[in-house]
This record gives sequence, C-alpha cells and structure tokens, in this order.
Amino acid sequence: MSRTIVKVGMASCGIAAGGGPVFDKLHSLLDGRDDVEVKKVGCIGFCYKEPLVEIEKDGVCVTYGEVDSALAEEIVEKHIDQGQILKEHVVLNNSAEAPENPRLENQVRIVLRNTGLIDPENIDEYIAREGYRGLEKALKEMTPMQVIQEILDSGLRGRGGAGFPTGLKWKFAHLAKADKKYFVCNADEGDPGAFMDRSVLEGDPHSVLEGMAVGAYAIGADEGIIYCRAEYPLAIKHLNRALEQARERGFLGDNIMGTGFSFDIHIKEGAGAFVCGEETAMIASIEGKRGMPRPRPPFPANSGIFGKPTNINNVETLANIPWIITHGSGEFSKYGIGKSRGTKVFALAGKINKGGLAEVPMGMPLRDVIFDVAGGIPNNRKFKAVQLGGPSGGCLPEELLDTPVDYESINATGAIMGSGGMVVMDETTCIVDVAKFFLSFVQKESCGKCPFCRIGTKRMLEILERISEGNGSHEDLDLLAELAVQIKDGSLCGLGQTAPNPVLTTLKYFKEEYLAHIDDKKCPAKVCTTLIHYSIDPEKCIGCTKCARNCPVDAITGEVKKLHVINDDICVRCGKCIEVCPVGAVTVE
Amino acid sequence: MSEINLIIDGKECKGASGDTILQVAQKNDVYIPTLCYLKGLTPIGSCRMCVVEVEGNAKLLTSCTTPAQDGMVVNTKTQKLFNYRKQILELLFAGRNHFCMFCSQSGDCELQTLAIEHGMDSVRYPYLYHDFENDATSEDLQMDHNRCILCGRCIRVCAEKVGAHTLDLEKRGWSANIITDLGSKLGDSETCVHCGACAQVCPTGTITIRDFVYRGRRNDCDDVVESICPLCSLGCEIKGYVRTGSLTRVEGSNLEGPDGGQLCHKGRWWLPESTERERLSVPMIREGSTFREASWEEALGLAASKMKDACQKGKAGAIVSGLSTDEELSVFHSVFKDTLDLKYFDCFIGDILRGFKKGFEPFVEQGVKPFTAAHNITSSDLVLILDADPQDEVPVTASYIRVNTIINGGKLANISSATNPFKGITDVDIKVSPEKMFNVITALVKAVSENEPIEVSGVDKTALEELAGMLKEANRPVFIFGGNFASDAKAVTQATNLAIASGSIFEDGLGIVPMVRHANSLAAINTVVGEEPWIGKADIDCLYVSSTGLIPEDSQSLEAMSMARFCIIHTPYMVHPLVNMADVLIPSPAWYERSGHFCTIEGERRKLNTMVKPQLNLKGLGEIFSTLTEKMGVKLNRSEVQPCENIFNSTVPADKACQVAVEEV
Ligand SMILES: Cc1cc2nc3c(=O)[nH]c(=O)nc-3n(C[C@H](O)[C@H](O)[C@H](O)COP(=O)(O)O)c2cc1C
Ligand code: SF4
Ligand code: SF4
Ligand code: SF4
Ligand code: FES
Repeated sequence: MSRTIVKVGMASCGIAAGGGPVFDKLHSLLDGRDDVEVKKVGCIGFCYKEPLVEIEKDGVCVTYGEVDSALAEEIVEKHIDQGQILKEHVVLNNSAEAPENPRLENQVRIVLRNTGLIDPENIDEYIAREGYRGLEKALKEMTPMQVIQEILDSGLRGRGGAGFPTGLKWKFAHLAKADKKYFVCNADEGDPGAFMDRSVLEGDPHSVLEGMAVGAYAIGADEGIIYCRAEYPLAIKHLNRALEQARERGFLGDNIMGTGFSFDIHIKEGAGAFVCGEETAMIASIEGKRGMPRPRPPFPANSGIFGKPTNINNVETLANIPWIITHGSGEFSKYGIGKSRGTKVFALAGKINKGGLAEVPMGMPLRDVIFDVAGGIPNNRKFKAVQLGGPSGGCLPEELLDTPVDYESINATGAIMGSGGMVVMDETTCIVDVAKFFLSFVQKESCGKCPFCRIGTKRMLEILERISEGNGSHEDLDLLAELAVQIKDGSLCGLGQTAPNPVLTTLKYFKEEYLAHIDDKKCPAKVCTTLIHYSIDPEKCIGCTKCARNCPVDAITGEVKKLHVINDDICVRCGKCIEVCPVGAVTVE
Repeated sequence: MSEINLIIDGKECKGASGDTILQVAQKNDVYIPTLCYLKGLTPIGSCRMCVVEVEGNAKLLTSCTTPAQDGMVVNTKTQKLFNYRKQILELLFAGRNHFCMFCSQSGDCELQTLAIEHGMDSVRYPYLYHDFENDATSEDLQMDHNRCILCGRCIRVCAEKVGAHTLDLEKRGWSANIITDLGSKLGDSETCVHCGACAQVCPTGTITIRDFVYRGRRNDCDDVVESICPLCSLGCEIKGYVRTGSLTRVEGSNLEGPDGGQLCHKGRWWLPESTERERLSVPMIREGSTFREASWEEALGLAASKMKDACQKGKAGAIVSGLSTDEELSVFHSVFKDTLDLKYFDCFIGDILRGFKKGFEPFVEQGVKPFTAAHNITSSDLVLILDADPQDEVPVTASYIRVNTIINGGKLANISSATNPFKGITDVDIKVSPEKMFNVITALVKAVSENEPIEVSGVDKTALEELAGMLKEANRPVFIFGGNFASDAKAVTQATNLAIASGSIFEDGLGIVPMVRHANSLAAINTVVGEEPWIGKADIDCLYVSSTGLIPEDSQSLEAMSMARFCIIHTPYMVHPLVNMADVLIPSPAWYERSGHFCTIEGERRKLNTMVKPQLNLKGLGEIFSTLTEKMGVKLNRSEVQPCENIFNSTVPADKACQVAVEEV
C-alpha cells in the first residue's frame, strides 16, 4: 500500500483563510506516522473554498474545502484511517462526481500545471514533474536563435498586460550587442485584485526560474533580477528557497549543466508603487533611482538597466516557457484563437459564486468564464458588467459577453486583457462608483511626471465625485470625455495612457446610468450615498429596536414595540439597519 | 553624422541624424512650444507641451524626445494639438497657485507666456488649493512649491550640471512635489551649494532669487549684455540684465557648454551686488585719520613725487590685481617693469602663482602646455585632488568633479592636509601633513613609473598602493592642484611628473587643472608675478596697489600695505580694510564699466564687456599712467607684452612631455 499524502493549501490565500492552524492540527495528528505524509502546497485556485486539504490515498485524490480544525480531525479519523470520504465537504474528486470537477475540466493548466500539487519548497517535486527539462533541452539541443524561434512559433505573448510577442522581444534583446545583458522578471503585480503571479511564485517558483534561465540563454544575459513587490513575503521566501536549491543542483550559477552557460538570479524587492511595474520605471528603480517612466526610445532591449540591454517579462509569461520548450510550440499554439495562443490565468472576483484563479484557453467566451468556470452570480441576481484588466481596463456589459478572451477582441471593446483581473458586477454595483474606484487608484499612483496624468486624473475623479453626489452636469460629462481622450493620447507611459479606460468604457456602455445620476439625481444601484435615503416601512416595523441599537450614529429613534424612524440628516447610509431588521422593514430609495 | 530631411508644417527642414524632432524644428525656425525641455539638460518628455503629429503614426509624440528620422512628415500646429496644449496649461494653471498678479515672475514666466499664446483666459476647473510649502528658509533663494509645475528642470540642472543632487521628486499623484535632500528645508540643505542654477532654469515663479525679484523683468531691462564673470579663473560666460545703471540679474549663458549655464554663488550674487556698493568717485588724500577730496592733478602729483623718491632709493613697490584684464596687465608691465623696472613688483596671492610659475617652468620650456581646459574634468576616468578645495577656489570645477564622479562614473581620489572636500564620493582619501606632501608625490611617481614599492612613514600604505594602482590603470586622469599645494614649486613639478607618469595626456596639454582663484591668474603669471617673494619682507617707501575691490585682498598683501610708508591705492570702491591703508586714493572704473580679455583655465581667452556705461568722471589706466610717469619725469616705455600669447599654445604635444628631476628635500 502506498503512502497517503495530505496536501494543505498554504499559499497566501490559504493562510489568510486559516490554513495555518489546519496544517498544524494535521501535522500534530499525523506526525511520526510512516503511512502518511503531510505537505504544504500552493494555491490551486479555489480561493473561495480555502482552507483546502487534499487527500491522495490509494490513487484517488479528494479535496476538501473550508476545512477547520474539527473537520481536519474528522478527515484523519474517517478518511485517512477508515477510507471513508466525507462527501458533504468534498470540492474536488478525481474518481467521482464532485462540485468543482467541471470547473477544473474547463481549464487548461499550463501555467498552473504545478501550483497546488507540489510542495514549492522542494525542488525534487518540481523535477519529478518535468522540472528543468526545458532548460536542459534548450541548453543542450538548441541554439539561442532556435529557442527564440520556438517561442515565436508558439505565439506566446506577454501576459503582463501589453501582449507583446515574447519571441520578438527576446529577438531584439538577442540582437543588441553588449558586454552585459539583464533578464528581469516583473513580479510587481500592482493591479488591485490581481494575484495570478503571486500564486505562481508561491506555488511553483521553479517554473519562473527555469523560464528566466531559458530566456537568459536566448538573449545572452548572465544576470537575472526578479523585481518582486515587498508585500509578497511568502513568494519571496519561496523564491529564495528555490534559488538556493537551483544553485545547489547546478541549474543556476556558473557553467550550467556543463554547457558553459552561466546565469544567476537575485531578487530586488519593490516598494509597492504601481508605476514600478512599468518597464522603464522598473529599470530606474532597479538602478536605485525613483521609479519613474521615461520616454522610449531607447527601448530596454537596447538600453535598459545601467544602459545595458534588458529584457523584462511577466511571471506568467515566464512560467509558460519551460512547458513550451519541453512540449514544443505546436502543443502550445493548439490552444487559443487568432493571434492569441495558449492560455490565460484570470483572478476571478466580485459578485460570483466561485472566486479564485482559473486558467482558460484563449478564445473562451467571457460568458463561459463567468458562468461555467466562475459559477455565475450569487443570489440569483442579474449580471450587470464585467471589469477586465484592473485600473487600466474597462467595463463590459451583458451584450459583449460573447466576446472571446483574446487580445484583439477584448481591445476592440475598449477594455484590455491586462494582467488578468476579472471583476464581475451585478445590479447592486453602481457603475459611476466603479469608475470612481479605479480612477482614485490611478490618480494616487501616477508618478507625477505628466500634467495630464497627475492633474487630469484628479480632475476626472472630481467630476465623477460631483456626479455621484448628484451635482453633475452635462458639461461635466463632456469635459470628462474630453479629458479622458486627451489623457489617454497625451500621457507618457502606460499608466496614464490606460487610466481613462474604466471611464471611457462605462461612458460608452452605461451612459444612462451616468445620466440617471445627473438628470434624475438617482443612483439606480442604490450605492451613491448622497443620492439614497433609508426609511422604515410603518406597515412592516414591529418595533424590535434592533435597528436603533445597531445604528452607529444613532440616527434611528423609536420605543419598544413602536414604529421606528430614521433621521435622514444623521444617517450615514451604512446599511446596517437593513442587515439587522428581521422583517425587512428598512428600504432604500 | 549624416544629413536628414524632414517636412515640418509643410516646410522642408534639414537636420542631422541623432537630432530630435524639436532640434530639427528649432534649427529651421519652426516654433514648437516647450516647458520641461531646456537646452543642455536631458530631455524627459514630461510636460507634453511639445507633442506633434507624425504622419503614419497614430500616436502623439513628444518632439523633445523623439528622434527625427529622414523623410518624416511632421505637423506641429493642428487644432488637435492646440487643444491638447491648452488643456495642459489649463490643468497646470488650476492645479496650483497661479494667480499671476501675486507672483514676482509675472511677465517673466514661461508658463504665463504659453497661456497667453494659447488664449487660455479662463479655466474650467475649480482651483485646487493644496497648500504646499513656501520654503523661505534659504537666505538666497525662495521656493514656493505652490507655483511649481513639476517640469523637473531644477532637479536636472542640480544633478546633471551642478552635481549637487539636492532636489528630487517626492510622493506620487497629485501630491508629487519637489523635495530637498531627504526632506529638509532648502536653507538647511547639506548638499546645496547655493549656486542658484535651479532658480535660473525654473520657468515659473517657484524658485526665485531674493535679490533679483521686483527689480525688473528680463524684458523690462535697459540692456542685456553678454560678458564673463570676473570672479575666478574659470570666467563663466554670463548674461547681465541692466536696469537704471544697476545689474539686476545675472545668468549663466553657456547652456550647451560644459557648465550648462551654471554660475557659482559668488557670480550669481556678488556681481549684481557689486553695482550697488559705495564707489570711490574722486581722488582723495589722507589727512590724519580721514581723507579729503583732491583734484586729479593734486593726487597724481603727490603720488608721482612719492613714487619718484622711492624709486631713487630702490624702495618702491607695486602690487596689482590678478583680476585685471590682459590689456591692463600689459600696462602694468610696461610701467613697472619696462619703464620703472621695479624690484618689488608682484600680484596678489603672488606666492601661489609663483609656485605654479616655477613649478611648471621646466615643462613650459619643453614646449608643453602643463594644464588642460578645466571642463576636461568631466571626461576623466580618475580625478586626483591635491590639497585643493575646488568649491572654494574655483567653484564650478567642483561641479565638474561631482558630475564626473556621480553621473559619468569616474573615480575620485583625494590627497589633502585638510578635510576632504568631497566626502562621501571619494574612492580613496589620503590624509597627508603639509611637510610630507612632497614625499608622498615623489613616492607615487616612483610607484607609477618604476613600479617601486610605496611607503611613506605615517601615511596609510594600503591607500597609497590603491591610488598608485588606480593611476596606472587610468586612461585620462586629471590632477587638481590646489592653491595651498602650489605654494611649493617643487611639489608642483613633482606632481606634474606624476601626471606624465600616469599618462595624463589631453589634446590641449597635460591633464592638470590649477586652482588659480583670480580671474586672469594665467596672464598674471606671465606678466606681473615676481621672481622672488618680497611682500612682507622688503622695506618699502612707496607702494602702488591696484585692486578691483571685488574680492577680499589676501592678508599678506594687506600687511605689506600697512608696513609701507606711503600707499597709493587705485580702486573703484570704498572697501575696507583696503582704503584704510591708503595715503592717496585714486578711483578706477569698476569691472562692469571696463572691457578687456581674460585667459581662463577653460583654455580660452574670453572677453569681458562693458555692462554699464561709466557714470562717474573716471580716468582709464592708460591716461593715469601717462600722467603719472610724466610727472615723475620718465618716459613711458610701452612695450607690447601680450600676456596670453604663449599660454594656450604649445609647440610640443603633451604625450612628448618628459619628467624632470626634482631635488629631494
Ligand atoms: C503602470 C503599469 C504597471 C504595470 N504593472 C505590471 C505588473 O505589475 N506586472 C507585470 O508583469 N507587468 C506590468 N506592466 C507591464 C510591463 O510594463 C511590461 O509590459 C511587462 O512586464 C512585460 O512583460 P511581458 O511581455 O511578459 O508581458 C505594467 C505596465 C504599466 C504601464
Ligand atoms: S503617464 Fe502618469 S505614471 Fe506615466 S509617466 Fe506620466 S505621470 Fe507618470
Ligand atoms: S542652488 Fe544649486 S545646488 Fe542648490 S538646489 Fe539649486 S541648483 Fe542645486
Ligand atoms: S521648481 Fe521650477 S524648475 Fe523645478 S520643477 Fe518646479 S517649476 Fe520646474
Ligand atoms: S518639452 Fe517635450 S515634453 Fe516637455
């Protein structure tokens, strides 16, 4: 009988949900047993069900969701010791029907091929799953130009946002003549709500290191830098561990695998400025300067860090590389449509049933991603919009749900693929509020260089604030649109050039909602606080005093068993009363 | 560099490959509005005012950063671009405090000019009041952040030209702002050298020079004169703004030159101040402890008779200023050497200049020029400072040294008896007592040319070895000889040997930059510096002193004046303690009323121009000395000395220079 393996999801999402105590519990219960092994693994993508525990027993893998200490104890007792599966807690089961099985079936896991399956701190587990085979093949069987050709043929495009063909980027860096070149991994992941890169770094760091080594070989770099945001301590820890192990095994360092190729990597922690994800700002930051974009040309491929040719790729882009080299470009380009090949990892969030990470083949319609993979909208509410690409992206309405996820189709709508953030909104989300949210983010993050981006976004935000307070005018809308276009065309870097996208797309697809705020002074989603009023239905109120007791500003008065009344002047529109009223007597207008 | 052809606004324009679109436009007189761009500074493309449309390219391109390409068709004046620019101006105006009527720069502000040009007479946004600081902590400058448009010119000039790196940007988004050091006030800054370059380049009323504001806008001035700064031997090129007889503002004008149009604190503040000082308007004669006015006739008569007597006894002396022009130095030479043949004739700080003169002599005799243009510091891979304090002696060379070290990546080494003037950026710093200086240089010469082991007792051995290694490796080392250092002529010779041994060869001469403070020191060395020191030693009956009154006289010269029995002081200002020493005071024109030439350590003979027409009834040097000699009864022997003649010429290239033996002490 083979050993039973217990895997606890211990990526940031797992730890945040309480994976730590669950791991400790299992560890204490099972420590010392020869027939069971307890491991920490990365994120498998079902973040909404964390903490997750997978039991691999007799060739059958069963994953339990929302595990706590009590359930952990039960799992040990019933499943591990007696072979009894606790059906009601199962989310995934590779031998029988389980709720999440179809979700995984809809996915193609290339980038996430190892996350959630292997122990990221153990290089042997990576090696056991084809790890460093791509590097070996590249170094021993291919010339740098052949590697580049393979990547070109695969159709891989940058997953960091711009979608630039990776092979072409490498070719430019390869052709640049210099005594020194740098290969940088962009692990700055600054989009609010995005965590694809984090999951890969935490759950499968070697795939990124291997991708970098292959790339470095292709362009002729000897120094690698991973620019990782300091807010990702676990990722940094796993990367450091992986770097140590890779050096020990000779996958990094001098004369790798005896081929004469030398390459090593170090980590540079970023201070958490969104703009430092932009290539030229990142270069400045690595050089020790303030992270500010500069105009191109010169392009980093010719003049990057300290004036040396520099190639920068995103984490997800790099995680694809070893797989492509090992399996061949043809296998990769099998997936996808048009000029978008392979897969894309999305961070699913918002008003959906199953938030988390999913890797889908390019070309899958948005509708399928949202309704099949993400499980649709909770509480039978109506879909309203999907925001793609974070603060640089756009909001798309129901009519565009059949848009396939590929760079060209998404760009045509005014949104962008971006790094893969996907936030779903239902009818309780206010579009003006959403635009405000993203704009206030970029407005704070602008590096301050261009007047358009620095002051223009601030001015757009003010206009949105006026509108959401019911003080907007039609001239405001015109000015908003004028500014948006000018900021987009006139800014220096990608931040400013995309900052107006959330506003432009919502103005395009949801203009009536803006007009409702302006003309009718109403917020149809009942979100904008100055435009809504809370009141208590005299017919329904039973005088239980719950609302009055819970109101944080004492805006509600009333005696026991008598009608309660809300003072609109004091009310701060927090909605607490609606939540607590047992009979649904509180209404919003 | 190949020629390229573009069509800009329908006009055929020629440029050179490597030019930006803006450069081609400017060469061809096509105007494109700019704000953050400034000639000489790295373009950063931040203000977006210079955007243009290039046919076949959907994007708007900033002309200041986009390389021009042959065949480009560029449009700079479409309605769309006009609207963009107007929007930028509107955003900037409403973004901070740009209520021009309360700004000292109104009428003199690039932002305001552009706004007028774009018909921006109102803004569509409420004014933002962010309440940034008005930093008034500096005695010299004021920095009202509420008027800043973040063009970054100040940051760039301070880093790229001054090398001080005092200014940077802090924070993000709407709160982004200029910051001093790590957040200190400008008045407390540890890195600021008070040069005012930032104020000169600021296009708005943010950084202003207290002494210049409200004294007349640039275009309200009666005259704008190009000249040079007479305060040190670098002779920075300046533009002086003259209004009602005063110099109201001084700016560096060599924007594209190596100094980038910077000036030092002295140039910036002392020059305008010099037109406000109390002048000596008529000749005066001492009467007890005061002076009485006298006629020219009487004053020169008295001076002549005292001089004549002293000459007969061999007890006459003359000290003249190294701030005199070439032409003036020739006159002094004719009078005191060729005509009177004074034994006691010298220049202020004569000992230092004599050190240079004697120390360099053997090489000059070889036909080699023993120094190089100062700006070559910025292309050196190693600068070695020998007991110098460049920031004090020739301030802009300190900028060159900082820029070369911090930005250009050159190494920096220091040997001094005092504190290291470039603490924090020096690779090797060696402390040497004055007595050991010569030995250290000698040991270095041997180590570099003969690979001898290096050891000088009491001096850090590892540092010396490291320095010797650096000197051997360097391709273009530059040596900075401080004034202190130069008072020992032997040390100068030996250090010149070191330069030769280290292969410090430049196109124009050996890679040495002498820290000679006085503007025309090089010419003075050639004309008026005496062979032997006498000041303070000789017994003088009558001493003639010519001082420009611009910079303080050295203490040794003042001592000589106080010891002389009779002193003729020839100077423009009522400055103390100089005038206290006088028995006869003869007024002379101030530097801004004179013209002539200086031999600068930038390797050029540069021209000083009259800035302000003389208002007083003054006599020129020539007239005074013909009267004086006439009254003395001697015939003025006008020899045609040309002080600059052989200074910048060399008959032998620097790589042919040979070391000369120096007697060890
Ligand atoms: C404001 C801004 C922020 C960005 N942030 C990131 C980021 O966090 N991670 C990333 O991979 N790319 C980011 N990018 C995109 C990068 O500039 C760059 O295109 C990418 O790293 C290139 O890698 P790829 O070709 O593999 O996509 C950002 C771009 C901009 C303009
Ligand atoms: S667009 Fe914004 S973030 Fe980008 S350089 Fe300009 S000000 Fe900075
Ligand atoms: S005065 Fe000179 S050194 Fe000081 S901040 Fe301005 S430019 Fe820099
Ligand atoms: S202080 Fe002046 S020069 Fe400096 S960024 Fe502001 S406006 Fe530009
Ligand atoms: S002048 Fe070109 S962007 Fe400012």
